[in-house]
Amino acid sequence: MARYSFLGITVERRMTYSRTASILTTIIAIGLAFAAVAGILTAMRLDTYRAFGVILAVFITPRLLLQAILRGLPIILASLGLAIAFKMNFWNIGAEGQIYWGMIAATGVVLAHAYYGYLPDLLVLPTMLIASFIAGGVWCLIPAILKAKLNVNEILTTLMMNYIAALFVDYLIYGPWRDPHGYGFPLSIPFPSYAKLTFVAGNPSYTGLVLSIILAAIVYVIFRFTKLGFELRVIGENLDAARYAGINIPRVLMLGALLSGGLAGLGGLSIVSGIIGRLRPRASPGYGYTAIIVAWLAALNPWLIIPAGIFFGGLLVAGESLQATLKIPNAAVQILQGIIFLFIILGEFLKRYKISFGGGRGVR
Amino acid sequence: MSSHEYLVEMRGIVKRFPGVLANDHVDFDLKRGEVHALLGENGAGKTTLMNILYGLYRADEGEIYIRGKKVKIRSPKDAIKLGIGMVHQNFRLIPTHTVIENIVLGLKEVGFILNSKKLEQEIKELASSYGWRIDPSAKVWQLSAGEKQQVELLRALYRRAEILILDEPTSVLTPQETRALFNAIRRMAEEGKGVIFITHKLDEVMKVSDRVTVMRKGRVVVTKNTSDTNPAELANYMVGRPVIFALQRKPMPPGKEVLRLRDVYAMSDKGVLALKGINLRIRKNEILGVAGVAGNGQIELAEVITGLRKVIKGKILINNVDATNKSPREIMELGVAYIPPENLRWGLVANLRVVDNLFLKAYRYPPYSNKVMINWKKIYDTADKLIERFEIVTPSKFTRTRALSGGNLQRLVLARELSGIIGGGVPDLIVAAYPTKGLDVAATEFVRKTLLRYREMGSGILLISEDLEEIFMLSDRIGVIFDGRIVGEFKAEEADIERIGLLMAGAKVEAA
Repeated sequence: MARYSFLGITVERRMTYSRTASILTTIIAIGLAFAAVAGILTAMRLDTYRAFGVILAVFITPRLLLQAILRGLPIILASLGLAIAFKMNFWNIGAEGQIYWGMIAATGVVLAHAYYGYLPDLLVLPTMLIASFIAGGVWCLIPAILKAKLNVNEILTTLMMNYIAALFVDYLIYGPWRDPHGYGFPLSIPFPSYAKLTFVAGNPSYTGLVLSIILAAIVYVIFRFTKLGFELRVIGENLDAARYAGINIPRVLMLGALLSGGLAGLGGLSIVSGIIGRLRPRASPGYGYTAIIVAWLAALNPWLIIPAGIFFGGLLVAGESLQATLKIPNAAVQILQGIIFLFIILGEFLKRYKISFGGGRGVR
Repeated sequence: MSSHEYLVEMRGIVKRFPGVLANDHVDFDLKRGEVHALLGENGAGKTTLMNILYGLYRADEGEIYIRGKKVKIRSPKDAIKLGIGMVHQNFRLIPTHTVIENIVLGLKEVGFILNSKKLEQEIKELASSYGWRIDPSAKVWQLSAGEKQQVELLRALYRRAEILILDEPTSVLTPQETRALFNAIRRMAEEGKGVIFITHKLDEVMKVSDRVTVMRKGRVVVTKNTSDTNPAELANYMVGRPVIFALQRKPMPPGKEVLRLRDVYAMSDKGVLALKGINLRIRKNEILGVAGVAGNGQIELAEVITGLRKVIKGKILINNVDATNKSPREIMELGVAYIPPENLRWGLVANLRVVDNLFLKAYRYPPYSNKVMINWKKIYDTADKLIERFEIVTPSKFTRTRALSGGNLQRLVLARELSGIIGGGVPDLIVAAYPTKGLDVAATEFVRKTLLRYREMGSGILLISEDLEEIFMLSDRIGVIFDGRIVGEFKAEEADIERIGLLMAGAKVEAA
């Protein structure tokens, strides 16, 4: 029995926990996070009520909600990918870098088309989708290969490769990909309309929502009904048993990583052709990291990732309006994000372990 | 010290764990000069009760009297002060320290600088009074399992323990070492100490104890003088129903060869040579039992055959096909079933459902899946049949596997490996590593019967076990493994337990 004791505090592993308890803990975690942020805002002598009013407004005003969906789109797509990686205990911290590679690939297709025009306009967006998926996937495949073949820790490689990707975008945009008619600003040319994510009702938010639902469905099917999904779970739960069962672990690891990075790559595409409409440096304000929080908030459930992603997209929108209306620094929203994550992790722990004070003695 | 007749009296002890009543109003006592066996299956509550006496757990209810005085034991420190010593199933020694250092560790009166000469003399004398020859300045890692146990006992005796608790002490010993231990235990009793002997083996109870207390499901069933009872009666108390002891092994001519190992070498996880030239063969309708003290290459042997460990030299043939360093899956597809040791660690995924674990290997073959998709309906239908056929007790096939008892976990493994869902028929070779370790009597019986039935249906079986009784009961041939080599092989009819015990301990063959 796993049971630890220190200074009269005893921590004991729970045998079971219910689904209701699990959902309740998550809700309480979010509630506590807001309470903590309220405390911080009050300490900064800012108007907490109005600030929360602004945040709430994002989720009940249709126009702002559409904004939230759009801003949530890269988070949702990257998070769906992370769900795959985390299912097999592949700690992909590199969604951010994979997002950047998705942007690079998508922009590359647009530029190639703009300068050489070898494709019908109609095929540009599909080509961008494929290219960004592959680019993000390959960026995630590299650490997977290193792990499978050389047992290199993927947390370090995926994290460090984020910086490489982001700096490579800087190089491109300050260098060869800079818009020649852009008055020297570090921006690519604006994307033409056929390269934008507007195929549903001519609106990027609706398009994003439909895209999210389709991809969540695909991930759900992979998890529930495919051999790959079964293998991902076995590897994630017990690597020794996976070996014993004869599962080709390197193969699953690489395939899973390819899908994981690919989805993040699509997230990158959604930034350049959905949100911004061109490539610029630092185009992602950390969507790839937020996606990690969202994946855990949704307990790796692809359907729950959609509302969780929209929630965090909404917080980004709220952060901008807070800055504009109340002069609250944008960092406040990042603090809120961080605190939510902290409370979720704490909630996870409380779900799995029972804490009691005094009582039993420590047992190894 | 008073001369109160009862060293220990435990009255109405209750201990609750989440979801289990581990001890339910248990009464237990220990007289001066007696060996009191505490008998019961795994999970009967024996170890919990003794952990309470030793201060590792605190009872929720009940009272403890030591030499007639009511006491509160809050920690092992309190217990040691009261003259209680406990030898755990897993040794708690520091391998890189010497015997002396391990024995005096934590003793205040020894001081910071060891007076080795004096201590060495004391320990030597203490050891020899129990018939043990042990070098006090040897490092613990150099010792055999039996010697390590002696160090544990010396540690308790050196602290003047009068009440000794031994938790399943024979599970790591050879027959000779067991006998030596029993002599020492009797000697301790003669000196007026009290010994509590936790076990689930009936013959040991009969051999060494004066009284026996049987526990079942957290309660005491009976306490009796050993001379007033017999193994059959005890088994009945222990399980709650009569138990059949002898299993019938029909004589059968062996068929064609299914496994051959030629001079196989392999490394352990620690990177030292664990198999040093293993030669063996198994034919259809035949069980080869491999006897040996744990850690002499048994696990590595099972793993090289099943493809989980690399062979660095030598050759493995399965059904006359070269299977050296093939992948686990390729070997499985050659018709090899593997019942792994510690199934929850190596062979089951605790957080997945029962049905997932039943199909942990077969999910990838038709009709249970096509190239991409799994056919859950087919799997669910088949799972129901397997659960029935292998008598797996589970609320449903969708239950989390971790919720199952040890016996049902092993039934689940048997169902997966032997039912024919992989490859469709009876496996040609079954590798069974410690298949009954830690199981209750009913499950042990089920596993043994199943192995014998598959032998009759044509499987060749490699049975690795620490339980000599089991090896003798099931095997057609018996091999002894020591230090990575098969040091002797006998036909079951000609095998002699004394000789096998000597070989297990590393004696040279001609000495026997």
